[in-house]
Amino acid sequence: MVRVTGNFQSESPLHPKAFEVLSAAFESGWADPAKLSQASTKAAQLRNNALETIGKALAVSVDSIVPISPTSLGYFLGIQGLLLNSSTLIHGATDRKDVFAIAAKTPHQLLKSDLDGKLIAAENAGRNSVLALQIANAETGVIQKCDEIIADVNSDHIFLDATTSGIRVPLVDDFSTALFDSRSWYGPSGIGFLIVKKPSQWSNPLPHLNAAHPNLDVSLPLLLASAVALENFSAEVEDASTEARKFNEQLRSAFSQMADVDIAGSLNSSMPHMLSASFLNCNGEELLRAIQNDGYSVDSGSACTADNLEPSHVLAAMGVLTHGNIRITIHPDTTQVEIDGLISSVTKNVNQQRS
Amino acid sequence: MNEIDARSLRCPQPIIELGKVISTMRHSDQVTLLSDDPATEPDLSAWSRMTGNKFEKISESTFVITKLSER
Repeated sequence: MVRVTGNFQSESPLHPKAFEVLSAAFESGWADPAKLSQASTKAAQLRNNALETIGKALAVSVDSIVPISPTSLGYFLGIQGLLLNSSTLIHGATDRKDVFAIAAKTPHQLLKSDLDGKLIAAENAGRNSVLALQIANAETGVIQKCDEIIADVNSDHIFLDATTSGIRVPLVDDFSTALFDSRSWYGPSGIGFLIVKKPSQWSNPLPHLNAAHPNLDVSLPLLLASAVALENFSAEVEDASTEARKFNEQLRSAFSQMADVDIAGSLNSSMPHMLSASFLNCNGEELLRAIQNDGYSVDSGSACTADNLEPSHVLAAMGVLTHGNIRITIHPDTTQVEIDGLISSVTKNVNQQRS
Repeated sequence: MNEIDARSLRCPQPIIELGKVISTMRHSDQVTLLSDDPATEPDLSAWSRMTGNKFEKISESTFVITKLSER
């Protein structure tokens, strides 16, 4: 058994403060906040405090926050809830598959990507449309120029996918709904937050009796842990991003010195903690396993590592090499020793595969 | 024209087989690549950009590659 010393996968352990609060939350946050008992009153207070913390950190009003579980449900709620009043869905070729699934059931228009991962906006696509815009890509970390795309497309309903960007990239002012994933700030998995900024544009697409307030009942302990993680990561994010950018530069510099490497997007227009690199004539699965054997966990977008043997639609849309791909996520606890070890491992294993 | 039958081979094997053959070809020579792997078309696009060679899609699983560089 190989001991993994460096985790560079997109998933990570909970923020330590969130982990601390989780067990305490299960002890004191078990009651139904909607009932009138003493325990319920306490649970309701905890819930309200958590939502206030989240609203402050995300710079949105508490009334606009709809906690949801699982996060993927937020794509349906956030987009379909706007489509009830509009005709066409406009979205990017590098969006998550959740968005493609919604588009498959409605008239839609696809925004292509250039080699840098930037979406090419269709000018004046029409007012009666919904624009679903991913702020940062989940595979490559490429950040879109949201203001420019929104101005060019000129949709009257805008859904922002902030599940990857989290609090690292501020939301643009003009949007209808937005979706956050608790994991982006090292909170627990399985909980997200839909922001309904313009309630007049949104209708709950799920069967419901009270249209004004969607009651989706998320786990209170998960909500509390998510709020604590967000509050703490908000104080750390600047330092974490600076450190991640330094490590990311080292990785890009080292990989660029190797022959036939395709790095998706430039660091200047990407999330500082994410990197996707493809190595010509290498097998992604074998590369991933070899790196794992050296003690480092990474992700891959290559077809041979996917359940359906399809290559990454994100890399394909960008025109970046899809085979021999590894995805690296730098976490706040990543060390220089781990970065050095990962560079050595990747270099060695790519050279071995090519020889 | 040379032909590489890479049907049933999965990525990155079709591109690796292409690389072996193209290294033996002369400038402007062409080779037909048969591949039913879904990654082949996007990877040929990236491979062309990286190596300076050209490809044309003839059918769903047939590609004609023209050698235009020494790579």
